[in-house]
Amino acid sequence: MSDTTPTTPAAPVRPVPRQGVYVDSKPFWDGIAQGKLVLQYCTVAKRFQHYPKPVSGFTGRRTLEWREVAGTGTIYACTVVRIPGPGVEGRIPLCVATVELDEGVRIIANVLRCAPSDLAIGKRVRLAIDQLTPEQAYPAFELA
Amino acid sequence: MKKRDIVIGGYAETAIDFKTGRSAYDLAGEALDQLLERTGIDRSEIDGLSVTTALSEAQNPFFAVYMTEALGITPTWLNYGGIGGCSATGGVARAMSAIRDGMCKLAVVMSSDAPSSDWRSNYGAYRSEFQDPPGVQGPPATFGLLMSRYIHQYGLDPEALGKIAITQRAHALHNPNGYKKFQKELTMEEYLKSRVISDPLRVLDSVMFCDGANAFIVTTEENARRLGLKKMVYPVAYGEVTNFNGSDPLADITQSGFTRIGPEVLRKAGLAPKDVRMFQPYDDFTIAVMMQFEAFGFCERGEGSAYTLRTDLSFNGELPLNTGGGQISAGQPGLASGGLNLAEAVRQMFGEGGSRQVPDPRNALVTGIGVIPYGRNWGTSSAMVLEA
Repeated sequence: MSDTTPTTPAAPVRPVPRQGVYVDSKPFWDGIAQGKLVLQYCTVAKRFQHYPKPVSGFTGRRTLEWREVAGTGTIYACTVVRIPGPGVEGRIPLCVATVELDEGVRIIANVLRCAPSDLAIGKRVRLAIDQLTPEQAYPAFELA
Repeated sequence: MKKRDIVIGGYAETAIDFKTGRSAYDLAGEALDQLLERTGIDRSEIDGLSVTTALSEAQNPFFAVYMTEALGITPTWLNYGGIGGCSATGGVARAMSAIRDGMCKLAVVMSSDAPSSDWRSNYGAYRSEFQDPPGVQGPPATFGLLMSRYIHQYGLDPEALGKIAITQRAHALHNPNGYKKFQKELTMEEYLKSRVISDPLRVLDSVMFCDGANAFIVTTEENARRLGLKKMVYPVAYGEVTNFNGSDPLADITQSGFTRIGPEVLRKAGLAPKDVRMFQPYDDFTIAVMMQFEAFGFCERGEGSAYTLRTDLSFNGELPLNTGGGQISAGQPGLASGGLNLAEAVRQMFGEGGSRQVPDPRNALVTGIGVIPYGRNWGTSSAMVLEA
């Protein structure tokens, strides 16, 4: 874990997922296009869930809406991907974290502009915008 | 109250190899041929079949039906097991229920896969939108995340995971079915120097996809005796849980389904951890083995490193561990993987362990793990206790 220079190509060519293949995820994608992180929220449990699901994980019902989160949180778990694979070309070593957002939900995301040796559980992070392509934004984080 | 009415009355296992170029059907055929040869029963006795979903046939929704054609079996009970590495023990448990319900009399539980020759699987669901883009396509990244959290909460001595890898490798040297490339001794120095693939996970903590098949006969003890089967073991307790803590976004990911079913299964079998004669746990990664030591109560939570380092895990030691080398050192035959740990347990209890025979093999604890979900540990956990 001693590497110092993560590679972040200026214009990475990465697969752009087809949107809404699991459930309608338009608010997530529309949100991130405006630099906002928008996640599913259960109006009964008053809690967020992520990834988005067809029902609330708390009630089993479709008691769901989409709400913006602040985009701040703490690293709950982290790893540095060091082996090549589809979609990670040119991005190795790649900093990955499970981020626990302040609203009480976790999201797996890349930590941008972070040396692998600086990546650690407990560190504070804030939302950063990654670009899958120059046109397609995707949520990521950076050390706060 | 445990029941001793149904037995595993035979097992078969093909050699495990990389890129055989063979199909799951062909490997299953070899396993069936071996099963009939070893038990001497006639194929017409088989009226139940459980087939494990194969990565190499995952696009085929009728794999199990095609398998009946391939094997020439006409079952009145057909089960298609979609819980990955839990499908072998889960298939045995479901066959037992089917037999008790009169749906069949003798079932074969068949797991066969050839992902190193032909990977035709797409996990679908939410992965392409929410899991793949940050680079968490494969199990190593998820297990890197899991290990990081385990270390944060409890600490971890890398030599403990090294000992698991080294002990299992030593066992694999005695396993003629193991993948040949892995049949050389492993030292701690080699383990510690092995490549980190997803921090802190090393390549020698991990399995490698291979091809292979295994099969088991499940029937009543009475029918087994009628058929002249001489060797049999009794599955006396089974537990399974899927999506444990799945709806809690803040669940402690170092707690797995085994935390819930592990103690229950041992209680059902009337065993304390110290009574377990051998442990054949699902071993996709070494940390999963250590977490199971804790979940089943072999040691306290967080004491996995100390327990591993102080316990003789060799086949003739205090707690014989994956005595055939496990998946990590014998090779992971795709989703037929769970049957590898089960086959080794049955083999040992039949007294057929050869140069790695466990002394007094009176019982065995076998587990399965299936599916790696989003940011947690694993999707399905299964555990079975076998008694002589």
